[in-house]
Amino acid sequence: MRYVLEARGLRKTFKDVEAVAGIDLCVGVGERVGLLGPNGAGKTTTLLMLLGAITADEGTIMIAGHSLPRHRSKAMEQIGFAAGYLPLPDRLKVREALGVFAGWYGVRNHKPVVDEALERFEIGNLGGRQCSQLSSGQRTLVGIVKATLHRPQLLVLDEPTASLDPDIALKVRTILLDVCASSGAGLLVTSHDMREVEMLTERVIFLARGNVIANDSAQVIAEVYGHDDLEQVFLTIAAEHGR
Amino acid sequence: MSWLRIKTVIRRHGYVLWRAPHRWFDIAFWPVMDVILFGSLGTYVATAGDDANTSAPYLLAGIMMFHVLFQSQIAVATGFMEETWSRNLLNVVTTPVTEVEYVVGTAAFGLAKVVLAMTSLSVTAFVFFRFDFGEVGWGLLPIALILTLIGWGVGLANIGIVLRFGQGAEILIWGSNFILMAFSGVFNPVEALPDALQPISSILPSTYAFSTLRDLLDGGTIETASMIKGILGGVVFLFAGAGFSVQMLRSFRKRGMVTRFS
Repeated sequence: MRYVLEARGLRKTFKDVEAVAGIDLCVGVGERVGLLGPNGAGKTTTLLMLLGAITADEGTIMIAGHSLPRHRSKAMEQIGFAAGYLPLPDRLKVREALGVFAGWYGVRNHKPVVDEALERFEIGNLGGRQCSQLSSGQRTLVGIVKATLHRPQLLVLDEPTASLDPDIALKVRTILLDVCASSGAGLLVTSHDMREVEMLTERVIFLARGNVIANDSAQVIAEVYGHDDLEQVFLTIAAEHGR
Repeated sequence: MSWLRIKTVIRRHGYVLWRAPHRWFDIAFWPVMDVILFGSLGTYVATAGDDANTSAPYLLAGIMMFHVLFQSQIAVATGFMEETWSRNLLNVVTTPVTEVEYVVGTAAFGLAKVVLAMTSLSVTAFVFFRFDFGEVGWGLLPIALILTLIGWGVGLANIGIVLRFGQGAEILIWGSNFILMAFSGVFNPVEALPDALQPISSILPSTYAFSTLRDLLDGGTIETASMIKGILGGVVFLFAGAGFSVQMLRSFRKRGMVTRFS
């Protein structure tokens, strides 16, 4: 299998706490993977290592053929990242902020690209608004638009729909599936919404206390744990492994 | 290195400057206040003393050239801080923009701020004190180069300190300017400093820059050896600041501190 993301033996310790305990995490080209686990499982630390924002103590990371941290800039050209908790730059209008990110991602003629991306998510009306005046849901949507601007090979989304109303969240999931299908992009997503994970992903990796404890399709994992769905699996894992 | 990404950094900070009226204080209001303060002080000292020579040109030229260092320094340092103030740092470090591109972008933007500030200073000095800074001549260019290099170096060092010690350390971005002002002999020969403090001045390339500035005001010429020493010292400051901030960035990534700024 060809991987867009291949991380091997990732390990990270903060003082005495082992946040990530030597895990392998791979995403195939065009594959959609969910990264799940109870609070403190090591999901965000893992994502931030994959994005080059935190240096791993051990392990190797290859993104679209580029190794981290040596070729971080080239690797990041192939990744689109959004997180539900991330704000946007103050004092910039939405269209300006997206234009700035487009430039950093190497998009030369950013204006039509930004307009098209805003329209794809049906939020063209937000383009002239100040980023600081957006509601948390609108900000999240703009963050997702930012992640898709440069048509990356891999979308990395951390809790992408956490602050969205159910109808908007559903719309975002549908558009994300469409983006992945039309561009062939892979997806690595964390979420606490198990229905979202079942809808968005083909494979699920469960982390607990920094270790991978399950890695298969949602259906197979549910069967292995003797449950009907991921929600119950999550509750079981959280009860057994939660910090 | 990507010119597109550097241009985008400049554009990003251009938007912020355009939308934030209080940022204009740094390049338009405070420089004007400095000229009025030091110009008035110089005029008073000249009229109160026995010496007919006016002190105003020394004070005005000193404060004007100090703004080259000041603007270069805060442009680099606050360019980075802008991302922490708007909790945008994680967004930036997960894009392809490199540390060098970001710093080059903020430094280039800083040059534009230097030009704006120098315009404010020059016009004010001429209108209120009939001091024509242009008469000092082309000798100002190497002096400005030295001060810009030091400003960039100190700005980078300040970024490193904030990366290491957190946002509480950002007070140094402004404080470091006053330390440099005190020890560089901006307005007076460093011999006027207490003896015990003069060795500090002698290792600052800015001391050579301001000393040469006074020579030019006295009608003298640029001493090449002194300027070369100053420029080399500025380059050392720049590389030392860059080296320190790179080390601190490595530590910042290793300790996973990015979440503290997001």
